[in-house]
Amino acid sequence: MAFSLEDRRQKTPPKIIDLISKNLITKEQALDWLRSIYEIRFFEDKVYDLLGQNIIKGASHLYAGQEAVAVGACSAIQKGDVIGSTHRGHGHCGAIGNKYAETEELRQMHWNRMMAELMGKETGYCNGRGGSMHIADVKHGNLGSTGIVGGNIPNAVGAALAEKYKKSGAVVLSFFGDGATNTGAFHESMNMASVQGAPLVAIIENNLYGMSVPFSGSPVEGAGCAANVEHIAERAAAYGVPGMIVDGQDTAAVFLAVKDAVEHARTHTEMTIIECKTYRWYGHSRSDPRVYRTKEEEKAWKDRDPINVLSKKLLDEKLASKEELDAIRARAEKTIEDATQFAMDSPWPKPEELTKDVYVQETYPDEMAAKDRDNAKKALTATRAYESLIKTLQGKTKKEISEKAKEQIKADYGMSVLAMKDAIVQAQAEEMRRDPNVYIEGEDVGIYGGAYGATKGLLQEFGKERVIDTAISEAAIVGSAVGAALRGLRPIAEIMYVDFMPICLDQLMHNGAFNRYMFGGHAKVPMVVRTEGGVGRCIAAHHSKSLEPWLVNVPGLYVVMPSTPYDAKGLLKAAIRSDNPVVFIEHKATYGQMGAAPTDDYIIPLGVADVKREGKDVTLVSYSRQVMFCLAAADELAERHGIQAEVIDLRTIKPMDIRTVAESVRKTGRLVTVAESFCMCGVGPEIVRQLFSYTFENGRTGFDYLDAAPVNMAAADVPPPMSEPLENASIPTPDKIVETVKALL
Amino acid sequence: MAREVKLPQLGQTMEEGTIVNTLVKPGDQVSKGDVLFEVETDKATLEVESPADGFVKAILVENGQTLPINAPILVLGEENETVDAGAYKTEAPACEPDKHSAAEPATEHCEPAPASPRSSQSVAETGPTTQVVRMPKLGQTMEEGTIVNTLVNVGDEVKKGDVLFEVETDKATLEAEAPADGCVKAILVELGQTVPVNEPLMVLADRDENVPQGFLDALMHEGTAPAETVPDHVTAAQHAAAAPETMTPRPAGPTVAPSGPAERVFATPRARMIAQELGIDLRGLTPANALRIVEADVRRAAQAVGKKTKDHGVISAVSPKYTFGQKIPLNRLQRIVAEKMLWSKQHIPCFYLTIRADVTALVALRAKLNKTSSVKLSFNDFILRALAAGMQHYPIMTGQLDGDHIQLAASLDFGLAISTDDGLIAPIVRDCGARSVYDIAAYCKDLIERTRAGKLTLDDLEGGCITVSNLGGFGIEAFIPIVVPGQTSILGVGAITDTVVPSDGNLLVRKLMTLTLSVDHKVVNGAEAAQFLDFVKKHLEHPDALVES
Ligand SMILES: Cc1ncc(C[n+]2csc(CCOP(=O)(O)OP(=O)(O)O)c2C)c(N)n1
Ligand SMILES: [Mg+2]
Repeated sequence: MAFSLEDRRQKTPPKIIDLISKNLITKEQALDWLRSIYEIRFFEDKVYDLLGQNIIKGASHLYAGQEAVAVGACSAIQKGDVIGSTHRGHGHCGAIGNKYAETEELRQMHWNRMMAELMGKETGYCNGRGGSMHIADVKHGNLGSTGIVGGNIPNAVGAALAEKYKKSGAVVLSFFGDGATNTGAFHESMNMASVQGAPLVAIIENNLYGMSVPFSGSPVEGAGCAANVEHIAERAAAYGVPGMIVDGQDTAAVFLAVKDAVEHARTHTEMTIIECKTYRWYGHSRSDPRVYRTKEEEKAWKDRDPINVLSKKLLDEKLASKEELDAIRARAEKTIEDATQFAMDSPWPKPEELTKDVYVQETYPDEMAAKDRDNAKKALTATRAYESLIKTLQGKTKKEISEKAKEQIKADYGMSVLAMKDAIVQAQAEEMRRDPNVYIEGEDVGIYGGAYGATKGLLQEFGKERVIDTAISEAAIVGSAVGAALRGLRPIAEIMYVDFMPICLDQLMHNGAFNRYMFGGHAKVPMVVRTEGGVGRCIAAHHSKSLEPWLVNVPGLYVVMPSTPYDAKGLLKAAIRSDNPVVFIEHKATYGQMGAAPTDDYIIPLGVADVKREGKDVTLVSYSRQVMFCLAAADELAERHGIQAEVIDLRTIKPMDIRTVAESVRKTGRLVTVAESFCMCGVGPEIVRQLFSYTFENGRTGFDYLDAAPVNMAAADVPPPMSEPLENASIPTPDKIVETVKALL
Repeated sequence: MAREVKLPQLGQTMEEGTIVNTLVKPGDQVSKGDVLFEVETDKATLEVESPADGFVKAILVENGQTLPINAPILVLGEENETVDAGAYKTEAPACEPDKHSAAEPATEHCEPAPASPRSSQSVAETGPTTQVVRMPKLGQTMEEGTIVNTLVNVGDEVKKGDVLFEVETDKATLEAEAPADGCVKAILVELGQTVPVNEPLMVLADRDENVPQGFLDALMHEGTAPAETVPDHVTAAQHAAAAPETMTPRPAGPTVAPSGPAERVFATPRARMIAQELGIDLRGLTPANALRIVEADVRRAAQAVGKKTKDHGVISAVSPKYTFGQKIPLNRLQRIVAEKMLWSKQHIPCFYLTIRADVTALVALRAKLNKTSSVKLSFNDFILRALAAGMQHYPIMTGQLDGDHIQLAASLDFGLAISTDDGLIAPIVRDCGARSVYDIAAYCKDLIERTRAGKLTLDDLEGGCITVSNLGGFGIEAFIPIVVPGQTSILGVGAITDTVVPSDGNLLVRKLMTLTLSVDHKVVNGAEAAQFLDFVKKHLEHPDALVES
């Protein structure tokens, strides 16, 4: 099926009695719709009141008026299906929670936890970490919501693709507003979902306005206009998928439309875009005076209150009496009153637990660290041996010499010598063989093998299902990886250049890194974003940066930057196995760098630095390619100047192994940090900050042991220039490191 | 049931709102959601809606009134309900008066003073706030003090209790504090100047008060005012102004070379840490090739003075501090030591007793106790404790010849000789008779820290009947110390050495310590002093009793 547009408002509105006779719903279900709507309504009215009393604080985007959408849609899916919510999400959370509440007690508890979350209490769904805008019961298939308009859509697409990959048969409902459909995330997501055949139903709640700007104009003097179309569903044409318009005030109509779309998604793995025309009773938020809409318009919509529409059907179709409806209303009101009391009586979260659940706590067995220390040393020695072998061995071609040298190293050290690029390919291949939940997505990662060859051959071994070439949609790549990770997969998303990271930083930070914490520790996002950075190929300012300082500034992320093939392989495998989101940044100038690595399956613990050279006079701390520069500088310092530099490779920048750095400075008294990222607010200054306050067993701090002011070497504060001499001038190089160290001693 | 409607918080930052329009009146029927008022905040004009259906029973606010959030603004009730509006109204918090209009213009205390209307006053007349700060008497025996540091400048605002000067006396360095708030108008003394108690040091007054030059001149030439006219070290200006115009000239120049304000030593944290560990004074060091002292400079210095370092165990030859032919200025402390020691040798005829104590048990006991004790016990602490026990049996050991009688001390205050970078000081450990060895240890620890930090008070330095001087740390086995004037005796403690001792026909290796007591023969005779010393020795040899007592 391709694009079609069906305006269901043109048809006779569905009768409930017909839905019952077709066995689509039971009468009890229809009555429960009304109850859910009332509960959401009373909840929102209460929240409005409590905001006024300053008992609830913070943002609250109220759902009142739109209840038919959430209630109708959530009743059209099965348990095990998934929803993605928005900043206006109390309705979605309320409806999906009711779906899972098997008993009255559980239902009450559900509303209790919602109200407690809004009050920021420990008993809330997210233990008070998320509040109104991030309320989610992740365990019941609610992907949660984001305060970034449009930001929730890529996650829903990723979740849908994950369900498809897992062949679970589950479908994802992605709710979002009219305003969100003008974001890039919407376009990237719809495009990805349509081209990859995601079992997704995109539900646009067109309440006619973003915050104040009308989607397609308004008679109010001075009002703006957000789009050049009236019906958002027409945009389905852009993605070649079916579009539908429904009356968002009619629960039965929403139910039926979503039911059809869900069936279609399940059977044909094709998405549908459903536009629900609806209206919000309150302002955008509590402080909104609603000057952008007329009283007449408000009145006309309020006459079509979903409560009225549904109640009238139930009465007209003789499915319930007035008294029965009143009883439903009273019961709902009581539920919310009780929930309010529960929340008021609930304890606050404890400030001592402030940092709990930012990360999944991970520990590595001691033997693993010990084995790494041995391996790392051996790999370095073997690599040096290999380097001298290729200088001395004879052969017809370089390739022949290199093959001979590799054999020799294998014989002498039991290690294979491989290029950085191959180490990365091998790490991914080994993990994909080990765990079917691991897959790769990104631009040109398939048949092309990755812009730097880091996925070469993987398509051939694992097929298109697990090595997915995506469109050029960075936000959708990372955002869908987040969604898939939330649904239990272990995605590896490749972002071709770290320079493109700002395009998807919203997804990486707000959803990838923050979801766990915002959702009170009830979610985890085990994903890896692989990318590369650095100068060295004269490709100028848009393709040469080192942006790790931006990334280490994000709580919830790990950042890994290897310098050798041995490290790259072991760390990438650890990153893939980690339950935390990891950004893995390779250096573009190192893909061809050869190095020795063990032949067996090994893991390098994240957060452990490697002392790549021991010395007593000065500590050089670095990571990624600059470690190689430091080692070269250290050789020269030793040979020509009698200075013994200790070189520490952080390997993992976050979490940072400050202990290893501090112990070294304790010995040498002098610290030089060497990085390729911009100098201001960089990793170097962060190392110094942590060193200063690092406390040793004797009560002394890292500061006490310094015998000179630490020096931070980093990239100059200039956009990386193209021209080679300028490029070299912009970053630390071995000769500059030598000079700096000499001046320090 | 009547309910009150409160001013809602209509936005995150809203704290109050002004009623700009009231859309209902008492008696009106309203439905939930009807607009009752329009309220203006600093951001927008917003509507207050009725929270419920009902009848307006009373309106508690007027248009134009500004109220904090949650203030009651209206009462809703049933149609026929009677409502006592007053009951609600009293609850309404009164609107705060506009703080801004009521506020006085801030007084700019630090602006330059406007031309004072008092500028026409006669030279010797001063304003009501003028105060002269005089050299305080900071201890019982203090007669004069040397200004070693001036911590404020003319024009500074000071608060009562702020430190104005550091003053060195023959006993300690002390602080002179501001007696009142004020602005420093004039500083009348120079660094290094030695000033008698009660002489003027500084003039304080309100910033905008004019202090006439004539007044300052008069102060500069003021002699020592008769003590009884000066009730305190601060005198109201009026007193000073009334002082005779001409007196003896101001003492000329300092009598002692000024030590000046402590110079900032630039050293790396590591250098400071290692200097502390090795006991090296950074002030004497010059960095070899950097702007600041680094670890290497400290290690060089440590080797030079032969101090052992943990990783450099070698003792190299001491490189001399001074060169031959050099004139070494006498610092204040050394001058005092010289005077006192000379006086002692001239006025205290001593005899000397030497005894050896077997402290094997004490060494073991101390090691054992120090494993658990929160304060580390030193040998001196045990010795002080033993001396106290001895004095309790031989009180004559505390006596001083006073004309026709011998005066015994009222309490057992003992001196402890401490070597500092500047020289020798022997501050007093008070009331050793009433202290356990732990107590003494804590006292001494504090005393030593304060001595090294230059924080001793005069009280720490007065009195005492005996002093303990321990040179064991330097490997000295025995020496004859000189009695501190005012005290009866002094005990010289030597090093503890492993010594072969015959015992019942066997040879044992025991730890022995030599004690030498110098005693004022004017007060005590040999037999008494010998018994006393033997008593002390026995206590040191059976130390358990020292700990128990
Ligand atoms: C990226 C981003 N831009 C702007 C905002 C501020 N904002 C929050 S909600 C909103 C309106 C969103 O409109 P719509 O998607 O139609 O959802 P509705 O609020 O109408 O439910 C705006 C502008 C935001 N949170 N995120
Ligand atoms: Mg909208």
